[in-house]
Amino acid sequence: MLHTKLALGLLTLALATPFAHAQSAPPEPAKSSASAVDPGSIQALKDMGTHLQTLKRFKVSTDLTGERVLADGQKLQHSATADIDVHRPNMLRAKMVSPRAVREIFYDGKLVTISIPAQKAYSTVEFTGNLGELISKLEERYGIDIPMADMFLWGTPAAPLDKIESAMNAGQDFIGNDLCDHYAFRQGDFDWQIWITTGAKPLPRKLVITNRSDEARPQSVQYFDWNLKPTFKDSIFKFTPPKGATAVELRSLEKK
Amino acid sequence: MKKSFSKLFLAPLTVLVLTSFAMAPVAEARGGGGGGARAGGGHGGGGGAKQVNNSSRDVRANNVRSTSVNNVSNRNTNINANKNVNVNVNNNRGGCCNNGWDNDYHPVATAAAVTAAVVVTSAVVGSMVNTVPAGCVPVNYGGYIYQQCGSTWYQPQGSQYVVINPPY
Repeated sequence: MLHTKLALGLLTLALATPFAHAQSAPPEPAKSSASAVDPGSIQALKDMGTHLQTLKRFKVSTDLTGERVLADGQKLQHSATADIDVHRPNMLRAKMVSPRAVREIFYDGKLVTISIPAQKAYSTVEFTGNLGELISKLEERYGIDIPMADMFLWGTPAAPLDKIESAMNAGQDFIGNDLCDHYAFRQGDFDWQIWITTGAKPLPRKLVITNRSDEARPQSVQYFDWNLKPTFKDSIFKFTPPKGATAVELRSLEKK
Repeated sequence: MKKSFSKLFLAPLTVLVLTSFAMAPVAEARGGGGGGARAGGGHGGGGGAKQVNNSSRDVRANNVRSTSVNNVSNRNTNINANKNVNVNVNNNRGGCCNNGWDNDYHPVATAAAVTAAVVVTSAVVGSMVNTVPAGCVPVNYGGYIYQQCGSTWYQPQGSQYVVINPPY
């Protein structure tokens, strides 16, 4: 009995040895494409962009954790939240909450207002254009970022995919209850990762951006929550100045 | 490398801007009806409820280096990866407002660090006041509202104001 076991053990060892040896040889790459850019990962971004562009009326919220690096390399994290109510092509309402201020943006297709309720102040400018144009123009002229602006740029020429230097499928993951495909990209000084819900209606659920231009590699992590059947009314896009609020000039960046 | 990269992306962006709309300032004062407030948004932190008090904040926490910002929007990656960084460093766009919607840190030390030889204003940069002097003009720059009082600029901080270097 004991003898049999010993023999079996030896046999196992004998069998295992060549196997182990074979394993230590350079393994066949499981699914590493010759090019650094995996076409399937790029296609996933395209599909997500196409789907995003079909959404007419929705609400999306985000929780953000970002990092800033101090002069000596120490990192500080900060948090912010935002939500946007959207009706394509040209209505949007955003609420942005960060320690510095709670701010709201209203766009009803004719006027854009940025309001800071705590300061009883708001600024309004005239504008006509779709939401993609609004985002570009606000940033370009006024240095104002609309939260989750990417949602309006993915799937358009404003978010070109041909500059991505590395793209890979990083497998699957759960974000909340949603099964997601996880992709990782490298481009210039930035690495980024995205988690996209699986299935025919892909939506981004998580986004991580790593800035490699700073050796401390500050990173942001954002989660997105979607409501594709929102209950808001069109009236929420129109700004009505609160009592006692002051209209403040919105200074453009070009003015020096 | 950085420059050519950003130029590459700037060209189509410029075209887009040229072909679009005027963005004219609206004549001030539109009749003020009451209550534009939305009842309960998805997230908390309504206007005028709780406010941040940074009076205990260490000044070192303000000394953010310029390479570290702008890691929030993916626009950085897809459109203008280095544009923002370059703008901040070279043009010192405000020295404060690195145009992230989550911008929460204070321009005081940053601005001082970027422009070391800044003109000395009448009030000491970084000092806090409870109210701004009479005759100050509110200005919205980069989506945030400041109080300009002659050559002195104030930024709201909680219920107080902090003296900052001019944002532009």
